[in-house]
Amino acid sequence: MSGTLPSDSACYVYGIVPADAPVPEEVLGVGDPPAPVVPVQHGEVAALVSEIDPRRPLGTPQDLIGHARVLDAVAAGRTPVLPFRFGAVVRDAAAVTDELLAPQQERFLAALEGLEGFAQFTVRGAYRQDRVLREILEQRPDVARLREEIAALPEDASRYQQIRLGELVSEELTARARADADELAARLGPLAAATARADSSADQPVNASFLVAEDSWEEFERAADGLAATWEGRIDLRLLGPLAPYDFASQLVDARGRDSWD
Amino acid sequence: MSVAPRSSNYMSRPSSSGLVDVIDLILDKGLVIDIYIRVSLVGIELLTIDARIVVASVDTYLRFAEAVNRLDITQDRSEGLPQLVNDMQEGGARHKTRGALEGVKEKVTDLIGGDGEEDEEEQEERPRRRTRPARKGREQ
Repeated sequence: MSGTLPSDSACYVYGIVPADAPVPEEVLGVGDPPAPVVPVQHGEVAALVSEIDPRRPLGTPQDLIGHARVLDAVAAGRTPVLPFRFGAVVRDAAAVTDELLAPQQERFLAALEGLEGFAQFTVRGAYRQDRVLREILEQRPDVARLREEIAALPEDASRYQQIRLGELVSEELTARARADADELAARLGPLAAATARADSSADQPVNASFLVAEDSWEEFERAADGLAATWEGRIDLRLLGPLAPYDFASQLVDARGRDSWD
Repeated sequence: MSVAPRSSNYMSRPSSSGLVDVIDLILDKGLVIDIYIRVSLVGIELLTIDARIVVASVDTYLRFAEAVNRLDITQDRSEGLPQLVNDMQEGGARHKTRGALEGVKEKVTDLIGGDGEEDEEEQEERPRRRTRPARKGREQ
């Protein structure tokens, strides 16, 4: 099992699940071609792994999607799962047991118990550019004026004004993005056990993840749809999930259980 | 899968995550295995990570200005997902995924064929004009 020379096979580790969890069948994971995903069990926990060729660099679209596909399939099957960061590769199954599961069993188990019945939902939104830029021109006379000024100048002569215009627009977009992200968190946060917000930016004003209990999934989705209705034509909203708790796993393992958000 | 995405009236509700979403979802997220495993960790070359490129703001601002100048105020149709937004992803909040996106680009067409997210992928991955030399993810 534990060869010392570079070998043509290693263990790609997706995440940790309870030992009795069903393994997602026929879900393609990482690798070219992807090998079957199998559990490596120890006591009450198991790692989901598949064999890969360690000589091939990782990170093709198929690899990235495969990683998420396996973990999300587990989460969608209502099995708690602690995802590893993309690219976790261990020498072999014995090492997964001896070095990962055996020493950390208690810790993983506590985190998995805390996750029971929860999954991550991620909400993303992008502005309809023209609509939002129009809003800005209507509401910021200084920006509109600068724009007219530029239109009257030959292109070569307006570089400074161009930069200034872009800067104003960028600032205004960022401010709006922040306000919209606040609204998202205010509307959906109360339906979730935990919220993780990504920084608002002009290109992705709305981007947050929520850890939602199963019995609130429908309500959460309805609330997100309600917000999408409010923002119709202005922000295109997308809801992803149920997903593995990518944004919450580390926090959960460190906190050793659900106490962190109950 | 036990949870079929229900129909939503106003938001998009993809049944599986497309490439761009996946990159955002998983990169830099999740448990770090190095914390637990030292001896038997296999160092594998990753095509994705790294590539945190700081782009001069001026470049970004000029693109905003261009977008505003292009805007036809007399027209009230507001349509189409922003090309600008795509451009901004390179200069904006997503530097960290740039390497991945680069490495990924060559294969995006294969992917679109089989992944059932055609429209979205096309929108998000549409080739864009570059003002800087592209940093290539190393393909094998």
